[in-house]
Amino acid sequence: MRLTRWLAYRCLRLTLVLFCVAALAFGLVMLSPIDPVDAYLGPQMAQVSPEQRALITERWGFESPPAVQFGHWLRQLLSGELGWSHIYNQPVSEVISQRFYRSIMLLGSAWLLSVVVGFALGVIAGAKEGSTLDRVISGYAYITASTPTFWLGIVGLLLFSVYLGWTPICCAGPPGMLSQEVSLLTRLHHLALPVATLTLLGIASITLHTRTRMIALMRSEIATHAFAQGASRIDIAWRHGIRHASLPALTLAFASLGELFGGAILIEQIFAYPGLGQATVEAGLRSDVPLLLGIALFTALFVSVGNLIADSLYHLIDPRIEQGPL
Amino acid sequence: MFRYQRSILLGLTAFCLAFNSPLQAKEQLVLAIGGEPEQGFDPLLGWGQYGSPLFQATLLSRGHDLAPTPELATAWSLSEDRLTWTLTLRDDAYFADGTPLTATDVAYTFNAASSAGGRADLSALQAAHAIDRYTVELTLKAPRITFIDQLMTLGIVPAAERENGYGDHYGRQPLGAGPYQLVEWQEGEQLIVERNPYYYGEPPAFERLVFLFTGEDTTLSAAHAGQVDLAALPPALAANLPTHMQRVVMESVDNRGILFPMQPASGEHAPSGAPIGNDVTADIAIRRAINLALDRETLVDVALHGYGRPAFGPADGLAWSDTDEAFEAPDLTRAHTLLDDAGWELRADGLRYKDGQPARFRLTYPASDTTRQLLAQVSADMVRPLGIEMQPTGRHWDEIQREALHQDAIVFGFGSHSPQEVYYLFHSQHAGFGFYNSGYYANPTVDRHLDAAQTAADQETANQHWQAAQWDGETGYGVRGDTSWAWMVNLAHVYAAHRCLDVGELGIAPHGHGWPITANLQTWRWTCD
Repeated sequence: MRLTRWLAYRCLRLTLVLFCVAALAFGLVMLSPIDPVDAYLGPQMAQVSPEQRALITERWGFESPPAVQFGHWLRQLLSGELGWSHIYNQPVSEVISQRFYRSIMLLGSAWLLSVVVGFALGVIAGAKEGSTLDRVISGYAYITASTPTFWLGIVGLLLFSVYLGWTPICCAGPPGMLSQEVSLLTRLHHLALPVATLTLLGIASITLHTRTRMIALMRSEIATHAFAQGASRIDIAWRHGIRHASLPALTLAFASLGELFGGAILIEQIFAYPGLGQATVEAGLRSDVPLLLGIALFTALFVSVGNLIADSLYHLIDPRIEQGPL
Repeated sequence: MFRYQRSILLGLTAFCLAFNSPLQAKEQLVLAIGGEPEQGFDPLLGWGQYGSPLFQATLLSRGHDLAPTPELATAWSLSEDRLTWTLTLRDDAYFADGTPLTATDVAYTFNAASSAGGRADLSALQAAHAIDRYTVELTLKAPRITFIDQLMTLGIVPAAERENGYGDHYGRQPLGAGPYQLVEWQEGEQLIVERNPYYYGEPPAFERLVFLFTGEDTTLSAAHAGQVDLAALPPALAANLPTHMQRVVMESVDNRGILFPMQPASGEHAPSGAPIGNDVTADIAIRRAINLALDRETLVDVALHGYGRPAFGPADGLAWSDTDEAFEAPDLTRAHTLLDDAGWELRADGLRYKDGQPARFRLTYPASDTTRQLLAQVSADMVRPLGIEMQPTGRHWDEIQREALHQDAIVFGFGSHSPQEVYYLFHSQHAGFGFYNSGYYANPTVDRHLDAAQTAADQETANQHWQAAQWDGETGYGVRGDTSWAWMVNLAHVYAAHRCLDVGELGIAPHGHGWPITANLQTWRWTCD
């Protein structure tokens, strides 16, 4: 019962968060000095008559006052419409779903890999605290935790795509090939480098977190007891440690979805991978209000749900945590 | 399971094939020249204004000398009052779905485009009517000879009321009577097109075209990896080409020049809030001296890596531009004399002064554009020995609009296939509107010439008037007249093309590097077997 109330409270909070995100994003776009008509025309801005500019302003609704635009957008949202993107000339929902499908492949595989690999490395390092292996793993984690994603991406691209030629230079498929002709293997080949880059970014925090948990366990009474019964470190790590450290790791993984999302935007720019990241950059630079708000909402929802799952997991692990103000 | 293995094998084979082009008849051409229209391939919203519209056919096309040549229209005439174009259509044009293209489709296209609010500018059109199956009438609001541009660039779409007609999704499923039809558009990545079997003209040499929408660096890497047959290159990267490729240079009127504020500073502001006027550049002696001081050959070498030619006007070498605008420069002696005679005295600090006003002003350029930055800095150095100090200042476009547009000298780039641009740049009615006549240039005689051109009976007559606006023997916007600009260079657009690709006789490109090269796509050939 209390859980239901807590969930209801969280959902209410989520709605409020989404509203604030939308209002803030809208305010930022309105503050942006970019003239939406010029942004729309791009290089053709010097070919269009004054009459045509007026027509463009009218057609895409660039001239109405900010409050009216926002109100209009909110009304649309309540009727289940995200509006119309002037950059892509299609409904915002279509733009997002088309591109998110691409992004989720990248994001999903990177997330899974970083959870699995990060957790395994953390367990190993924690179980063998102080060993050479531990030092190598934690050293690696500290270095990658402080490496900028875009830099890693560019270095990877130079090394593997340009210099060695092992991986494709860009895009989600080979040139000249229809989508339905592209095999799973080729898709994966094109995903390999961006996913690897993004994974390297995600591994570090999970590794370090898991390692700390494992070290705590290894020093706990449970471990002392097991050692007394003749169990080896590996036994303990395997039988107690994994259970002990897996939920926190998963929690952290859900909580770090936001970072991963941010990383993915950068990665997509570098690898010319046509996902949501590229659309976000376009929408921001060219004042596509409905699209930018749509993406902001969508991202906020995605990250908030990740956080909600993380919080719920915490409650499962440790009921002593306060259940909100209720 | 077996099906899976097969698809993996197929994928692998295709993958290997993609990396070595087989030496049989070349069926597929891969191009990386940018130009992806995010809105899709919708002519009503501006697709096809440059280069080949690929999917759609146009009424006329620009011949090699930019003169109109027949396409869908076999005959055309302009009425006595210059308000009505009457065009006769060919009867063998079909859309890619096999249905005939008639006057109804043409009228629909023009009417819809004039209210679409996209990049295609048909604001001059009153209405379009289908007179009979193969005759169409286009009526204008006012005489405007440059409306012929729209006949050459607006791709014809199927009328909305027919089956497969124009609709909201047209941009992503274009249907036209052009040489190619869409196979697949992977947004943000590539476009794959194949021959349209119903095309009325000579079938193009390549069955399939692939356009990659990659960034500069990726394009270069792909060219080195042998995956691209034609790539647009920035001049800075044109030095180092893969061995199987050659450089193709396309001349252009994509120009760069210095626009001068023509009015003295009066404390007035434009509607945008930007202050108007500059006391130094308002003096014709200063403008002429700067024109004389610029060493345009050096500007081409330094800022464009040699890919370009000197510029003396907005449309060098085109039919509506006076051919005698070029002059001997640099000529610092003449420039010094000019300034002395105009009362600009050189003082000990190396600057000239007139009535206590130092010859100093900002030369503003968009900060993101490295070529313009170089042009601004080098030209400032060239002018400095005269005692004139141009201060190169990089700003964002928006800040330029709010602050600098009408009071600083600005490094602008223009260049068009149409004389309409000349009208925008120099007619006083466009003063202070957007990026057009932003120096508030106003000369009643020039206005008269420009209006006479718009109301001319045909392009040849119009061209004489356009030229007179530049210099009519007495006055003009050009260097012999009011010297409203100091034009610097015309860029050349550089491409890397496979040694076996013959791109025929390239025309002259407008402002914008990339897609315009496809203007003569129909004539491209593969010369190896």
